[in-house]
Amino acid sequence: MIKDKYNFEVFSKKPIKLMSDSGEWLADFELDLSDKQLKEFYYDMLFGRLLDERFGQLHRLGKVSFYAPSSGHEAAQIAIAKAIDWGNDWVFPYYRDNALLYSSGVPIKDIMAQMLGTRLDPAKARQMPSHPSSKKLNMFTAASGIASHIPAAAGAAIAAKIRNKGEAVITTSGEGATSEGDYHAGINFAGAQGAPIVFIVQNNGLAISVPYHKQSAAENTSLKAHAYGMPGYYLDGMDILACYYLMKDLLERARAGLGPALVEMKVYRYGPHSPADDDMRYRSKEEVDAWRKKDPLLRMQKFLAKRKLWTKKQDIKMREEIELILDKAINEAEAEGFAPLEWMFDDVFKDKPAHLLEQQKMLLED
Amino acid sequence: MNITEYYGQTITYREALRLALDEAMEQDERIIILGEEVGRYGGAYAVSQGLYEKYGAGRVLDTPISEAAIIGTAIGAAMTGLRPVAELMYVDFAGIAMDQIANQAAKIRYMFGGQIGVPMVLRTQGGPGRSAGAQHSQSLEAWFMHTAGLFVAMPATVSDAYQLLKEALQFDDPVIFIEHKGLYTSKGIFEPGTALPFGKAAIAREGSELTIITYSGALRHCLAAAEELDKLAIDVEVIDLRTLNPLDVDTFVESVSKTGHALIVTEDSLTAGVSAEISARAQEGAFDFLEEPIMRLSGEDIPIPVAPELELAATPKKADIIKAVRKILRR
Ligand SMILES: Cc1ncc(C[n+]2csc(CCOP(=O)(O)OP(=O)(O)O)c2C)c(N)n1
Repeated sequence: MIKDKYNFEVFSKKPIKLMSDSGEWLADFELDLSDKQLKEFYYDMLFGRLLDERFGQLHRLGKVSFYAPSSGHEAAQIAIAKAIDWGNDWVFPYYRDNALLYSSGVPIKDIMAQMLGTRLDPAKARQMPSHPSSKKLNMFTAASGIASHIPAAAGAAIAAKIRNKGEAVITTSGEGATSEGDYHAGINFAGAQGAPIVFIVQNNGLAISVPYHKQSAAENTSLKAHAYGMPGYYLDGMDILACYYLMKDLLERARAGLGPALVEMKVYRYGPHSPADDDMRYRSKEEVDAWRKKDPLLRMQKFLAKRKLWTKKQDIKMREEIELILDKAINEAEAEGFAPLEWMFDDVFKDKPAHLLEQQKMLLED
Repeated sequence: MNITEYYGQTITYREALRLALDEAMEQDERIIILGEEVGRYGGAYAVSQGLYEKYGAGRVLDTPISEAAIIGTAIGAAMTGLRPVAELMYVDFAGIAMDQIANQAAKIRYMFGGQIGVPMVLRTQGGPGRSAGAQHSQSLEAWFMHTAGLFVAMPATVSDAYQLLKEALQFDDPVIFIEHKGLYTSKGIFEPGTALPFGKAAIAREGSELTIITYSGALRHCLAAAEELDKLAIDVEVIDLRTLNPLDVDTFVESVSKTGHALIVTEDSLTAGVSAEISARAQEGAFDFLEEPIMRLSGEDIPIPVAPELELAATPKKADIIKAVRKILRR
């Protein structure tokens, strides 16, 4: 197996970290990110957090029917977003990737329009909220069926291998998804083909209420990589720098034709699975609070503060700015109202067959 | 290759399919084939024979035994710029990949607001006739016909096998292309120039007294019955649907309006099957012209048995068709 340039340990027993809980740099290689980049990493995490909270508000107001809380997953998601070569690589996200979605560069107005199902949604208000996509960024619409997107991601990687132009594929999921047949089908074929893809599991320990030990007897999901003939990495998913450096390295290797990898990023979700879920039925407040102490934003604040790149005052200002951006995006997204009835029969096929023209005519005549 | 060299020649259904794949692969580099045994082995029904040797392992991919992987990866490759032909060895195995077919392939364009599509052809084969048993002999076309977002083609003739596949390979949407295992060695004159476009039903035999509506493997039994009926001075028209989505309702409604009598013959099982849909459409469109109730002859509502006599009895054959026509016409 190829040794990566940062010498990350394959199949490590403990999650790999580059930043201590108190924000010390732990790695033996030089940090080569600029101050600006480091601040941006934090800003994007903060944006992801506030975006997630805003989705919660919109749900309480009855404006969105569903969302998948992502607070606690920010370090993992922003690290992934920062390592992707957007527009060159292909991305198959999952429904909980709110922070990743923001950091990808999808306009916030588009994100809000998708969540609210308005006329300005580029996907024409056809997808469930929290199922982002962007044609421009090569980001494919998330699947509602757990792991349904994994074979497609593997197929995109096989296509990229055939084209041989240095493209990589990134796909994300929760740990529960790795139990699905489709997960195995996709990753196994990608392994056999040596296709350029990185499979990322954001393991938040729970699939709705079901704890990981009921999904699998494997100590963590990265170990499964062994059977697919690819390296597996087990990361502290609350450590944005560990996630970033490994992702960058793995994607560079994939683009260079060195094959796939599987990464588990150990995270925690603070919110319920979805707004329909009462999470206090299966976990305690103490458990959530203990994880909140390891919060990825907190850790990055400490890291930045040591470098004089973060103050509480600046943080408050940033939050205010972000809230205003979100207000504006919601107003813009709502400006033109909901998707019209005329759109309903479009895009079942590229060209509308006779039976759909007829059904459309009958509906609109009523 | 020069396809015109084959014009007018007698070739098999299998050869016609291979010609379509070969010609399309020569013309369009984005076309790849993936499936179980499609490489050196040449496909379980030998359709892709020679293509691995000609186009190499980069375009003819032997996959793991995983229908979800074959179809799911074909979808991903299609979404990102290729035009894959996924081969599903038996339509009976579609269940393993049905999530990929129904929830992914069929819905991506719609869910993505029309920004991208899934230009994939899923080639498979079905139908009874080889004593292959309950898990290798089904006619499951209704599953796909019932799912919005899928085109469904079921060629019955040599020219259509070529023509429909060639057209399917140019579509920007997924096509479920179901061949019939009993037709691979059937022969016909290769004259694709005369074939109708995708979505149009063909009048396989003109007649005036009753319309038989059918497709795929059942067509030959209907034509054989029509020949015999002719000897009894009963003149039937036979319509070959060719594609089930789009379903060419106009052609059969016009025919039934002309003849006033309709018999639908399919090999899928009767209940909630394709024949029910056609019957409803024919009734809606030709009600004023119907002289007798529309009748259906379809597979029995049982798993297909292996014993040859039982397998024969499980789906409509020439004698059943003749009997049904005479019953409708009371002659
Ligand atoms: C095929 C399928 N089965 C079940 C569900 C219902 N469901 C939605 S989310 C979920 C849990 C998924 O857990 P995991 O993969 O760990 O991701 P997480 O939501 O925790 O991020 C389940 C069972 C579904 N959407 N699709």
